[in-house]
Amino acid sequence: MQQTTTRKARLIIILLCIMALISIASLCLLFRPSESAKGLTAHIYQDGDLIESIPLNQVKTSYTLTVTSKDGGSNVIEVRHGAIGIVSADCPDGLCVHQGFIKNTALPITCLPHRLVIQLQKEGDTWD
Amino acid sequence: MGLKKLTILALYTTLSLIIFAVESAIPPLLPIPGIKPGLANIITLILLRNASVKDTGLVLCARILLSSLLFGQAISLLYSLAGAFLSLAAMALINRLLQNRYIFLTSVTGGITHNLGQLLVAYLITKVSGVLLYLPFLILAGMVAGLFTGLCAHFAQKYLMKLHHGFL
Repeated sequence: MQQTTTRKARLIIILLCIMALISIASLCLLFRPSESAKGLTAHIYQDGDLIESIPLNQVKTSYTLTVTSKDGGSNVIEVRHGAIGIVSADCPDGLCVHQGFIKNTALPITCLPHRLVIQLQKEGDTWD
Repeated sequence: MGLKKLTILALYTTLSLIIFAVESAIPPLLPIPGIKPGLANIITLILLRNASVKDTGLVLCARILLSSLLFGQAISLLYSLAGAFLSLAAMALINRLLQNRYIFLTSVTGGITHNLGQLLVAYLITKVSGVLLYLPFLILAGMVAGLFTGLCAHFAQKYLMKLHHGFL
């Protein structure tokens, strides 16, 4: 009895290690520096709908825009040359502001309380 | 349900609520939604090991409902419930397989599945496939958090044996 549990535990440890390795590998892939300096386009989604697309290399001077969600929450987005980020929001956790500015396609900015996602895409690439 | 058992379960519910409240006062460590230590899971683990899955589910349910009433909002209730019950199901299964031993393996599994459940809900709500890119982060974070809470539950066990004896 004891032995079979130990064997099961060993199996679970191995499975978990494999999972950790896969995660680390995919993180490395995700953060590989992008080789091409193609233009980036920021896509802003709210409730799953694309509400705005901004080609970031065409932005000369920074500006802000405010996105209001259906239930009245708002996020102030700052658009810069080659970067985008949320500078202030009235969501309870403020995690979207904490995520700062993004400059590459690695990770999107998300504000879950307002169901807002900002994602960068290289020109020519298609997501879905 | 006997009076003593009810009292102990209520005590655990209160404890997990306190842990949850203290934890939500800690500023986020990483700028990724959903990454947190999940310290209230220590209580879930202790109960899973000492009480039945049903009682653990009851305490978990009470904690989530109360915490979202006290500190949260409707939307976070959905995330919490999805994460909590997916991880409870996974942890109950693993704990049964391991016969109450290696509680930290149970909790690592729980950490991962908790984050998987939350990510799934986040995907269903935002419908942007990009949020799935958080997956490797969330798996690793779930592992670290799960290991920590598991070890806490492991070391708490011997001090709690007396309290549970005959009541749960």
